[in-house]
Amino acid sequence: MSDLARLALDEATRRGAGYADARLLDQNREDLLVKNGQVASLEQTESRGLGVRVLVNGAWGYAATDELTKDGAAACAARAVAIGRASASVLAKPVRLAPEPPQTAVWSSPCAVDPFTVPLERKLDLLLAVDAGLRGVRGVTIAESGLTFVRKRQRFLSSEGSDIDQTILRSGGGYSATAVAGNEVQRRSFPQAEGYHQTRGWEFIESVPWVAEAPRIAEEAVALLRADQCPHGEFDVILEGSQLALQIHESVGHPTELDRVLGMEANYAGTSFLTLDKKGTLRFGSPKVNLVADATLPDGLATFAFDDEGVAAQRWHIVRDGMFEGYLTSRELAHTVGDNRSRGCVRADGWNHIPMIRMVNLSLMPGAGSLDDLLGDTDHGIYMETNRSWSIDQLRYNFQFKTEIAWEVKRGKRIRMLKNPTYQGITPQFWNSCDFVCGTEAWRPWSVVNCGKGQPGQVAEMTHGAAPARFRAVKVGAGYEDD
Amino acid sequence: MTRAEAQAVLEQAVSRASGREIEAVLGGGTAELTRFANNEITQNVSERRYVLSIRVARGRKTGRATGNDLSREGIARLQAQADAAAALSPEIPDLLPVPAPQTYRTVDGTDPETASLGPDARAREVARAVAICRAAGVNAAGIYETGAGTIGDYGVVSPLAIANSAGLFAYHQSTDASFRISAMDGTASGWAGAESHRAGDIDGGALADRAVGKCVGSRAPASWEPGRYTVVLEPAAVADLIQDMSWISLGALAVQEGRSFLSGRIGTRVMGENVTLRDDPYHPLHRGCPFDAEGVPTRPVTIIERGMAVSPVYDRQTAAKDGVESTGHGLPVPNPIGPLATSLVLEGGEGEVEDLIAGVERGLLVTRVWYTNVVDPMTVTLTGMTRDGLFAIEGGKVTGAVRNFRFNQSIVQMLHEVEAMSRVQRIEGVVCPGLRIRSFHMSSGTEF
Repeated sequence: MSDLARLALDEATRRGAGYADARLLDQNREDLLVKNGQVASLEQTESRGLGVRVLVNGAWGYAATDELTKDGAAACAARAVAIGRASASVLAKPVRLAPEPPQTAVWSSPCAVDPFTVPLERKLDLLLAVDAGLRGVRGVTIAESGLTFVRKRQRFLSSEGSDIDQTILRSGGGYSATAVAGNEVQRRSFPQAEGYHQTRGWEFIESVPWVAEAPRIAEEAVALLRADQCPHGEFDVILEGSQLALQIHESVGHPTELDRVLGMEANYAGTSFLTLDKKGTLRFGSPKVNLVADATLPDGLATFAFDDEGVAAQRWHIVRDGMFEGYLTSRELAHTVGDNRSRGCVRADGWNHIPMIRMVNLSLMPGAGSLDDLLGDTDHGIYMETNRSWSIDQLRYNFQFKTEIAWEVKRGKRIRMLKNPTYQGITPQFWNSCDFVCGTEAWRPWSVVNCGKGQPGQVAEMTHGAAPARFRAVKVGAGYEDD
Repeated sequence: MTRAEAQAVLEQAVSRASGREIEAVLGGGTAELTRFANNEITQNVSERRYVLSIRVARGRKTGRATGNDLSREGIARLQAQADAAAALSPEIPDLLPVPAPQTYRTVDGTDPETASLGPDARAREVARAVAICRAAGVNAAGIYETGAGTIGDYGVVSPLAIANSAGLFAYHQSTDASFRISAMDGTASGWAGAESHRAGDIDGGALADRAVGKCVGSRAPASWEPGRYTVVLEPAAVADLIQDMSWISLGALAVQEGRSFLSGRIGTRVMGENVTLRDDPYHPLHRGCPFDAEGVPTRPVTIIERGMAVSPVYDRQTAAKDGVESTGHGLPVPNPIGPLATSLVLEGGEGEVEDLIAGVERGLLVTRVWYTNVVDPMTVTLTGMTRDGLFAIEGGKVTGAVRNFRFNQSIVQMLHEVEAMSRVQRIEGVVCPGLRIRSFHMSSGTEF
């Protein structure tokens, strides 16, 4: 099949492309979902196709096809070149790619037990056991549990001579209990909202205590129906790791995507307050805040050997000791921040979509101490756990999150459960208020598997490592205040 | 893919049922999108993709396999995978047999010129818009998107044709064109958009003029305090809010599970008397698909009539539970979501947005909203941001720009407080008017 990629490259070059790359993908996916004791989805999906990206007169063209024949590949390349030529008619400055040596490699993410070889019955038995654990608690209205396995094998060829065969496999799942009464809909999820995933095989599934935690999760969902409403006002807020992961994603990851910063996402997701003048000059957070981008993170969802431009995986600081240091970049845009090499952040979600800058794994580095140490150090605050909703403005300043559950903390102890907790802030003020980050023992590689970006939209996945952390004087209670 | 070509693929997919039930859904087509920013084309893409999804049922056990290899071998492989999954699946007690052959309304949603529109034509339209922005000293960013078939955003593919082993066959071809533009000047911005099944309806120049006007008017915004304001929501803002309400509230499963504001309130007043909300794929501005993911004909449904809750939309499973007929709003079976209303029509009035503005003594004009998400599902309280043009209205006139706000607002309550409506348009997939809302909660400010 890689002959088709080679054929497409040759055809694109013959038709006038100054640069071309071709990605031939073979993707398999398995989704299992159980809802209230019944199978709600049992689906296997396969997708194969070819994507050809070209530069013609310094302008981009991209075409993708699932007609995997010689004629189909040649036609796809011809279409990409014709599109590139049309792009060149509305071009201010020709694209200039940062140099990158050609790479030849074969790489696979680690996997001890291929989840696609594990019998469906075993997977369904696990979900049905979780379901029984959730619905064994009186008051649970909806129990949902799911597993997802994805394998992407990609052959990347470029007109500069790269030939990279890369296979990335991920496994994961999650569950939730929903309790409904009157005007209240309360939910608890495990291990986090939207599922917990890693680039590992079935052995990852076996490492998580899915069944054992189900009764606790269900009991908390029901207890929330009777819990006190989270108060409105200014409080010290302690965020559990998975909620902090989404905070990192929205308020650090997206605003450091260089295409956003330069206005290329302006019509859809917006731009960024982290304009080029902020690099090296902005105190983004307190000295406790160290944020590291890392495409080499073990088991991370954005861990790879090479990105979709053939650039090797890297690790670098985005924020060091609170100071803003760097962006997520591509070969096209690296020069705009004075770099002579891309940071390797370009990915596509399939053969059918063009690669673009996507977040790699981005983590808050651990500090010191356990969650108990942090709670014990807090005189009066609110500890919030597990994301329920999120929103942030088009420059990534004003955010508002809701978590599933919270507890009021007084003199170092959790004194009562609170429902409907929300908090809102302005990104740099918020990160500058961080005065405690827990240590390695509380640090986990949390998942995001539903990151949307681009036009047409693409979905990407990445890992955000985080331990619980405290933020001083945060506005709490939006959406539920009496006004 | 023509009707005959689709039929040939699906006939093979549902063949050799031999005592099992088979349902096959084919979706896809071509989707092309020219993207521009900073007054130049920055991405320009074309996708050709067809996806076949086969579901096999053995009694009350069912499994599904989906793929894009439409060769004879590929289809046979999907059939075998779906069959193997069905054999292993536990029984689903309320799984229904596949539906019998149905009769469908004809929808003329195809435009040959749109189906064949190429990158050069899109580039010319983009160039017109860019020239207008450049002349005004602002940066243009946006998209011109055309497609034939059913490839949606985020790669989602909806049904183009359906067949099953009971002899059902359904086919619907459509085209789409949409143009969206942001005019940018630092943190000042303006936006305009249009969509139709005909590319000929798109006027990139007119949209650029509108976006530029909003951008220029957005410079030097004043800071207003958070609080409750009378607002005029332009149709793009209304569409976003109504669509979010639909996802979580207007399907029968949400109602049956008690997690919708309609739960237990059908036949009662839930909104203002001037609010009528329907789902209608046959509306001339929608021209949507006349069947759902099981091949059940989609019926227009009145969800809210003059403020009274009338009915959610149904699929076969939820309809059976309530003892009514499906309205043809089902997703692929089985699924945890239930039916969805996807061709929303909020009835409007006769005037323009300017007429709504004229009736405001002091308030805000909202061009559109961004990053909406659910804070409280039962009250449909949403949070989100104003974007691309928030303006002060004083004495019935727009008097200047205002810094953007985050809002936290119950959409059900908002629809109790509608003072006036403009005429409808289709935007963001919804047919709706602009609305003047008596009181809307802007809860916090931002930096621009």
